Amino acid sequence: MNKSSNKFRHLIWPLVSLALLLLFNAIFTDNFFKIEVKKQDSAQAVQAPSVPGNPSENNVSAVDPTEAAAKAAAEEVEAAKQTVQESAGQEAQAPKKDEKGVSIFGYYLYGTPIDILNQGSKVMVLAIGMTLVIATGGIDISVGAVMAIAGAIAALLISMLDAGNCVGAGMGPAWYWIIPVAAALVLSTLAGFWNGMLVAGFGIQPMVATLVLMVAGRGVAQLITDGQIITFDNPGLVFLCNGHALFLPFSVWIVVAMYVIAGLLTRKTAFGLFIESVGNNERASRYAGIEARRIKWLTYVICGFCAGVAGLLAASNIKCADSNNAGLYLELDAILATVIGGTSMAGGRFFLSGSLVGAILIQTLTTTMYMKNVSPAIVQVPKAMVVIIVCLLQSPVFRAKVLSIFASKAAKGGVQ
Amino acid sequence: MNKFATVIMAAAAATLLVTGCSKSDSSKIKVGFSQVGAESDWRKASTESIKGEAEKRASIDLTFSDAQQKQENQIKAIRNFISKGVDVISFSPVVATGFEDVLKEAKEAEIPVVLFDRAVDVSEDGLYVSFIGSDFVEEGRRAGRWVLKNVGENANVAELVGTVGSAPAIDRKKGFEEIISNYPGIKIIKSQSGDFTRAKGKEVMESFLKSPEADQIQVLFAHNDDMALGAIQAIEEAGKKPGKDIIIISIDGVKTMFEQILAGKANCTVECNPLIGAQLFDVVEQIHAGKSVPSRIPSVEGVYDNVGGVNVGTDREPVVTKKITQEIVDSRKY
Amino acid sequence: MKKFKFPMRYVPISATILVFFIVYLIGIISFENFGSPKVFLDLFVDNAYLGIAAIGTALVILTGGIDLSVGSIIAFTSILIAKMIATGSNALVAIALALAIGIAFGMLQGWLIHCFSLPPFLVTLAGMFFIRGCGFIVSEESIGIKNDPVFNFIQNDLTIKLGKGMNLRFIVIVYIVVLIAAIFFSQRTRSGRSIYAIGDNELAATLMGIPVGRTKIMTYTIAGFCSALAGVVYAVYLKAGNPLNCVGLEMDAIAAVVIGGTLLTGGVGYVFGSLFGVLVLGLIQTLIVFDGRINSWWTRIIVGLLVLAFIFMQNLITKISKSKSKSQ
Repeated sequence: MNKSSNKFRHLIWPLVSLALLLLFNAIFTDNFFKIEVKKQDSAQAVQAPSVPGNPSENNVSAVDPTEAAAKAAAEEVEAAKQTVQESAGQEAQAPKKDEKGVSIFGYYLYGTPIDILNQGSKVMVLAIGMTLVIATGGIDISVGAVMAIAGAIAALLISMLDAGNCVGAGMGPAWYWIIPVAAALVLSTLAGFWNGMLVAGFGIQPMVATLVLMVAGRGVAQLITDGQIITFDNPGLVFLCNGHALFLPFSVWIVVAMYVIAGLLTRKTAFGLFIESVGNNERASRYAGIEARRIKWLTYVICGFCAGVAGLLAASNIKCADSNNAGLYLELDAILATVIGGTSMAGGRFFLSGSLVGAILIQTLTTTMYMKNVSPAIVQVPKAMVVIIVCLLQSPVFRAKVLSIFASKAAKGGVQ
Repeated sequence: MNKFATVIMAAAAATLLVTGCSKSDSSKIKVGFSQVGAESDWRKASTESIKGEAEKRASIDLTFSDAQQKQENQIKAIRNFISKGVDVISFSPVVATGFEDVLKEAKEAEIPVVLFDRAVDVSEDGLYVSFIGSDFVEEGRRAGRWVLKNVGENANVAELVGTVGSAPAIDRKKGFEEIISNYPGIKIIKSQSGDFTRAKGKEVMESFLKSPEADQIQVLFAHNDDMALGAIQAIEEAGKKPGKDIIIISIDGVKTMFEQILAGKANCTVECNPLIGAQLFDVVEQIHAGKSVPSRIPSVEGVYDNVGGVNVGTDREPVVTKKITQEIVDSRKY
Repeated sequence: MKKFKFPMRYVPISATILVFFIVYLIGIISFENFGSPKVFLDLFVDNAYLGIAAIGTALVILTGGIDLSVGSIIAFTSILIAKMIATGSNALVAIALALAIGIAFGMLQGWLIHCFSLPPFLVTLAGMFFIRGCGFIVSEESIGIKNDPVFNFIQNDLTIKLGKGMNLRFIVIVYIVVLIAAIFFSQRTRSGRSIYAIGDNELAATLMGIPVGRTKIMTYTIAGFCSALAGVVYAVYLKAGNPLNCVGLEMDAIAAVVIGGTLLTGGVGYVFGSLFGVLVLGLIQTLIVFDGRINSWWTRIIVGLLVLAFIFMQNLITKISKSKSKSQ
């Protein structure tokens, strides 16, 4: 038991901040926790006003933080089950969902907390990859541009297929969306491979190496779409961020699946240990026989893949690829989420669950400011302050200093 | 040896830049144009209109520069146009302020300047010859008048503001508020920035629809079509009918928005015409021929909705809305 | 081997200078009027603010840190000055206040970074959001500075006219003075050498008795000052303030410093290099404007490729110099 509490120690401060923020909303924002159950009817979802006969899911008001945590844990378990059932993960799950976007039970949840999860899914996915990269002592500031590339290629291919003048035209429209999705993921993985090559292969500092793609990537995305915003309405692609499965937005399940896979990969195999050792001391780990380069390279590839998934989600959300704005400055949010979650920017220590909590915290903050009618001009100021406060709380040096103040006060009290 | 390698690499880097050499033909009118960027469909249409028109006219030699939404890039571009020795400079200012010095420099070099799309704020006259383009404040006013005439004197409005601090966002808000300020029954109950993008428009609208005031929102006023398009998705997902449960009005008039209006999912869009390339080069040719041109040339713009026949101009200068039909949608280029 | 040996540490910067002249030559051959002295002078006028910001960034990078708040501080100081002048304050008071805020903000960032060992990337990122938001609080709208006696004096009386259309502006003089001061500071003073020592190996510097904390905080303070001064120069340059300006400028500054031969890991490089980094970036932009046919997205890709070419070159050189020092 003691061991597990240690394991979750890094989560305390972000969770406390998140709980405080939620508490603030519970008190000051009406309807914040109002969650309705709606019936899925793809195009014109019938408004189902809260059904009184459904106590478990209905109007869950002001969930208390512990309950929320418990719920989250339950979700994870459920997710694990689900991924086991659907074995091959995301790619294999996909065909099932395609029945006109109707969820398995035909019902889904609707409310602000659900929105936070859905809108936050992009940063959560990014944060998973970013966590691994930062754990090796690196950084990837190109993920926003890679998102734009992924969205652009997916939208371009789907519009070509929809127009029927491409190879996949023989397949039914319910299937060929796989091609653009696969192409986007392959391309973004290649982008990650490129970053990895510069960092691990050529030994260039991560920030400069990924700066190249950050600057050029958005140009590539615009080149792909010829500078246009490409809209699409392919049900399969739209489903990614707009559809629902098992009561929740599908994007949430993607996050859960990726989290579980990344968790298994890093905690059940030696990969996680290797990452930490490379982040701690690259030379020492090389002497210990770890292929430090390959490990680093791999983390950038994973990060690129995650950026691709996030790019697909972003494009799916608004049913179009907007190369100029997709994922703009999202690399910063992903880094913030990772650091808020307790991962050290110096490398050597990482917490995937912390990064997810960090991403949710950032999204909750944004949504809160929309709900509270905070003037758009000052939105960035409270965000910066929360970030600094959470990071200070996460800093061992800060905690030691504050503790020593308390300790000296207590000591004085004791003397008196 | 290393030094040799370095030189090779440096030369390689430099040659990357050379895409070709252009010696210009002296009989042509050399025009330098600095565009804001490529941030939206609207802007893209505007760029294409200018480039396409320049290619059509044998008399024009266009040097086009993209400022990527940065004023600093635009000023550099204008200075370079002066150094290059173009005959006419034209640009679409990123913001209203900060162009005084560089315009003075152009005046010293005796290069006429034509503003396009947005006006600049300068303290002395004669720094530019003419301004072609829309009036953002008037666009806001038209949107306000449309709401007044079609929804009535009592309405709760949610507003999707453009990028904070940008000229269209400030002016469109100003114009809209100017009209509704006379009618206490029309209230803006929600207002947030959607950054002129679809993604943000959708995200902000989602949060509006879950706020305590959600059921009171009758009208959505978006500062551009992209944000409105995002918001339409959010409204549908919330189980409401866009265009009916919530009246939607926005500005720009892009094709996708026309389609939505035709489908009954939106109500009105105030046109802000990007296709003024022809107008621009007409003016340029007149200036070059030594003719005088008016200092303010309004672009030809309409207002499109699903009703038709509503006067959204003033009594003196009426602007009557056009009802959207399939033909109008099909004839739209952007 | 009595051959003349070019010191390895000067190679990256010499290469950048060489590239600058090659690009310049290409421009002169390709385009008429490119060789006019006005183009060369405009490079300084249009990039003075970036150059000043890059000086601060260079010093911070030499300590092994990073400063992302540069662009936001420029926007904030320019809008603050414009707003104060618009509400009737004296321009000199406004400039002094803006510089003071820049210094205080830099110091605060340095303090947070050193005292709580927070990562510089994160602190300055939060600083970037914070100060940009503060700019919007001062004014959401851009404000022009009109008919202010101080600004008119700077504009009219402190400008040296060199010929028709060619003015050596005061802001260029400011840039050159600050650059010389920074070069002297980093090469010839004890604190300057401490910066190099910390960037090279912080632990070793601590053990040698170098005041690491003080030096680091001082460096971020100087960076804050440079950013604020860049903001002042920017306000003079535009005669306006705009809270939306200079978004992402920190990346330009970092790129300029990297192109100028400074290693992002710290300890290696020269402040002087940032001058040519800035000039190369400016020259590329000029070339693209003169050409006038390249699409904007190609511009981005070309800049990306150029940065890549430079880092490859640097990488090569560091490897060679390392193997040389080993063989010796």
